[in-house]
Amino acid sequence: MLAYLLRRLVFGAAVLLGTSLITFTIAYVIPADPAVAMAGAKADPQTLATIRAQLGLDQPLYVQYARYLDRALHGDLGRSYIRRENVTRLILDRLPATAILAASAMALALLLGIPMGMLAAAYRERTLDNSLLVLSLGLVSMPVFWLGTMLLVAAAVYLRSLPLGGFSGWRSLVLPSVTLALGLAGYYSRILHTNLVDAMDQEYVRTARGKGLSRARAMLKHAMANAILPLVTLAGLDLAGLLSGVVLTETVFNWPGIGRLAYEAVFNLDIPLIMGTELFAALLVVLANLAVDLLYVWIDPRIRLSDQA
Amino acid sequence: MRPSRALTNPANTRRASVPSRGYLAPILAALAALILPGCRTGAPPLDFPPGAQVLHLAERDDVPTLDPAIGYDTASWTFEQMIFDTLVRYSDTGVDLVPDAAISWEASPDARTFTFHLRRDVRFSTGRTVAAADFKYAIERVLRPATNSKGMEYFRALIGAEDFAAGRAGSVAGIETPDPWTIIFRLTGPDPIFVHKLAMPFAAAIPPEAVNRWGDDFFKHVVGSGPFMLREWIGGQRLVLARNPYYFIKGLPRLDAIVEQIGVDNELEWLKFEAGDIDVSAIPPAEFAYVMKTPRLKALTLRIVTLATDYLGMNCLMQPFTDVRVRRAFNYAIDRRKLIAVLNGRGVVAHGVLPPGLPGYDPGLEGYSYDPAKARLLLEEAGVGGNFAPQLWIRADQTEMILAQSIQQDLALVGVHVVIKPVAWPPLLDAVRQPNTAEIFLFGWEADFPDPANFLDVLFSRQQWGANNDTFYYDPRVDALLVEAAPQSNLERRYLLYRDAEQIIVRDAPWVFLYNPVTCVIRQPWVHDYVLNPMRPARLEKVWLSPHRDKE
Amino acid sequence: MKLRLNPMEAAGAAMVLSLVVVAAFAPILAPHDPTRAIATTFGDPGAPSRAFPLGTDELGRDVLSRIIYGARISLTVGVAAMVVTMTIGVAIGLLSGFFGGAVDFLLMRFTDVMLTLPALLLAMAFVAVLRPSLLSILLMIGLVSWTGVARVVRAETLTMTQRDFVLAARALGAPPSRLILRHVLPNVTPIIVVMAVLGTSGTLLLDAGLSFLGLGVPPPIPSWGRMIEEATMYFRTAPWLAAFPGIAILYAVLSFNLLGYGYLRRRSRGSALNAP
Repeated sequence: MLAYLLRRLVFGAAVLLGTSLITFTIAYVIPADPAVAMAGAKADPQTLATIRAQLGLDQPLYVQYARYLDRALHGDLGRSYIRRENVTRLILDRLPATAILAASAMALALLLGIPMGMLAAAYRERTLDNSLLVLSLGLVSMPVFWLGTMLLVAAAVYLRSLPLGGFSGWRSLVLPSVTLALGLAGYYSRILHTNLVDAMDQEYVRTARGKGLSRARAMLKHAMANAILPLVTLAGLDLAGLLSGVVLTETVFNWPGIGRLAYEAVFNLDIPLIMGTELFAALLVVLANLAVDLLYVWIDPRIRLSDQA
Repeated sequence: MRPSRALTNPANTRRASVPSRGYLAPILAALAALILPGCRTGAPPLDFPPGAQVLHLAERDDVPTLDPAIGYDTASWTFEQMIFDTLVRYSDTGVDLVPDAAISWEASPDARTFTFHLRRDVRFSTGRTVAAADFKYAIERVLRPATNSKGMEYFRALIGAEDFAAGRAGSVAGIETPDPWTIIFRLTGPDPIFVHKLAMPFAAAIPPEAVNRWGDDFFKHVVGSGPFMLREWIGGQRLVLARNPYYFIKGLPRLDAIVEQIGVDNELEWLKFEAGDIDVSAIPPAEFAYVMKTPRLKALTLRIVTLATDYLGMNCLMQPFTDVRVRRAFNYAIDRRKLIAVLNGRGVVAHGVLPPGLPGYDPGLEGYSYDPAKARLLLEEAGVGGNFAPQLWIRADQTEMILAQSIQQDLALVGVHVVIKPVAWPPLLDAVRQPNTAEIFLFGWEADFPDPANFLDVLFSRQQWGANNDTFYYDPRVDALLVEAAPQSNLERRYLLYRDAEQIIVRDAPWVFLYNPVTCVIRQPWVHDYVLNPMRPARLEKVWLSPHRDKE
Repeated sequence: MKLRLNPMEAAGAAMVLSLVVVAAFAPILAPHDPTRAIATTFGDPGAPSRAFPLGTDELGRDVLSRIIYGARISLTVGVAAMVVTMTIGVAIGLLSGFFGGAVDFLLMRFTDVMLTLPALLLAMAFVAVLRPSLLSILLMIGLVSWTGVARVVRAETLTMTQRDFVLAARALGAPPSRLILRHVLPNVTPIIVVMAVLGTSGTLLLDAGLSFLGLGVPPPIPSWGRMIEEATMYFRTAPWLAAFPGIAILYAVLSFNLLGYGYLRRRSRGSALNAP
């Protein structure tokens, strides 16, 4: 168990190292001068030269990368060129807003998606199943920024009590959560449906039904247990993705989260912040994977750890 | 020009049925435990005593910084000029210099030495008295390379500045503080507009002890001597200023606090304004026509032409823009009135480089009119054929994109098929500073000082190639005129020389002179003494509110 | 071979076909030039009317014509980016699954790394740096979307290499290139086709998202995503401006999803794939 854990940790660290290398490469092959981002429009060449030297941009690339890595290992992701604030702190400051949005959207998505998937599986190959399938495909196919905009229109005209953006109290959560949740709900209902249908065809469920268990009870008591686990896994991984920032939704609703931060970073070519947000995203994915692996072990010790790699 | 111009300039803002298995609950609980700690839903409510004068504002983007050495954009300066004092500042509605922390000042006849006499009653919000050394410290901090200040170039002409920046001297020799109430600046060469540089927030007094205490985080724990002080700044959510009890002008500020809510889009800001939650608001493009048609609302609007010119730059080193006929043709081909209509009238047609309201502005300059026939003729003469497709570089931004498309439409009518290149700000700046990359580009220039030099010298002299002369324009006559005008302290003479230079530039047409942006805001009927300045954000210390429904 | 389509596939196929027709015959179908100012109400979008059934935008352009022409760029980017995605994904998946060992290890670790990076952010960074153009956008979308494909193709290839006919061919001394191209690839083709169809819905959405963020194919070519972006300014006073292009995106993405999922349902191979 411990050895397994260690292996996963080393593996996660290696992935992060790879991620940092890739983001660093992207950031520094940019055919634009980061000093410009810092110095502003008016900067004369002398100011630019001064700032370049200050940032260590006149050093060879591998030296810059080594420095970056060294500082990152000490938890210091550098300072934003534009905001001049510590990147780690900028991200942590924005985390609560994103976390609340991600958690409520995920809860809503599961709340909608699970019953939809169950209903569709229960009425397999019938009209309800087909209509739910088309509905969920419709939800998956909606561009999230458009859905958000349309909800804004609806709220501006009909629901005047809902805040139209920004992060101010529980009510401001409604529109962005719904926007984010609908597509996910469609997706999860599909997955649960597929898993349930597969599970219902398994030997043990057939046996249970042979013993006179109703279809519905068989599904709830037996098939569900096997079908829900992959869904929870997926939701966990998706949650990590959401936590690393939902750029489009946060843009539509001016949500002060990590997605907006990342967006601003890209548009200002704020390299430390671009690297910081990407690394943070990678870290979350690695951690979520680790958590999921451990959960599997906890839930089902029979799962052979060595197969998990 | 300020880097995030279009981001911040109001004229531009433009822009469970949980299954019954035992393990699910712990999983969900674990997920919740992972996420929920530290979460709160937005900023906690603010408490003000009843009857407090609180001005409510809203903005989409966070304020970039409050550090006066760093900020160089409208949003930062709005608050910096309320938190800090400079030696001199501009009057509320004009571009004339008035005393701030200095009572008086003298310039030597050769415009190389400037002596300022300070008030003795200026105090930081900590209560400590502001002395000459605090101004000296602030400018030295700007010059120190580690600060990465955007303002260093304004003070490089001080004697000893280079030595200080290079670490060869412990202080700037050209700034003397013979006593706590006197500060003398000595320059390496004449500079009649040096005093204006001291009116920029870069030169505002800051207490060294606060900078030493907070280090790199000074920007969000700023301490100054201005009418207001920073009370709270929750990133991405809210900025609150409170009155500075030690402010040196008795009876000011009239407001107790200023609250800026962040993350509020244009449209939302407007809805909040209509609901009375916000006291001063920008007018979103979509509502502009409605506001102007409604007399009640129109009466509440304020409008001012800013000291700025938006233009289409043409690279004079790149074919076929080496040919003046092509550049003139572009000037005739683009419909400026349409651009202004697209901006909901937030601009006035530009006839030349200098904006109206700038001292030295030439009202007699005619410039170019919209005349596509003439444009076609000129293009034909220049031998520019039908498949000419120059790249138009712009900053990736909603409004810029719409303006670029309008220009694209106009030029298509004269047979020029423009390809739009929207890029992030730094690569755009990089591209236009290369002699051979950006053929045409959409840019703007805002005055830093109310003087023609700030436009003509900076944007058209040979010396500025690779820096701010992005059209790579060069004319020896213009350069000669600029060299002659720069040290000229006699204003009449000075402006005449610049007028001659501008006439040549307009004839040579390295720009399509587009429009001078107009700032337009609306305030509630209970907001008084809120006035706009053509060059700086509105000052807020004299603003007061008459009784109204309190929304807090 | 007789092709029997279920209703979902039929609907999806018909919708895709209609998109292709609209894109191909845009000049005939569109009532106006999509880039010219037809109305003269600048800065003030016109509501839907008899003359302009979907209204006009802030630059006086006909929204209907822009949506019709928008099909061209959306389909082009969607399909071309899918081809890039599939090419990279299939190549890496095949090599990794077939050779195993160090090749597999390296390629899969690289895939893991790419998977940790958020696709949209990565694409944004790429495009912002490389400057948006048709080519840069479809390359970038391809570069950030191939990881899922690579994993599925690798898994399929792995099982394939254990099959008797592949083992037999290998024993007979067939070179790897021949084994891959003649024996493995044809057998993983069905799943590649499904992933390609579903992947197109993914690339369409990513393209729309980039356009919405201002990083789409630059004007004058009308793009649905950018139309929505420009319309957000007017969402309260002119909601139709954002509504119609969004419906177009929904229609296009849905058509590929219906086609893909319909096929999966027929083959009932749903569990192998959980795209998009």
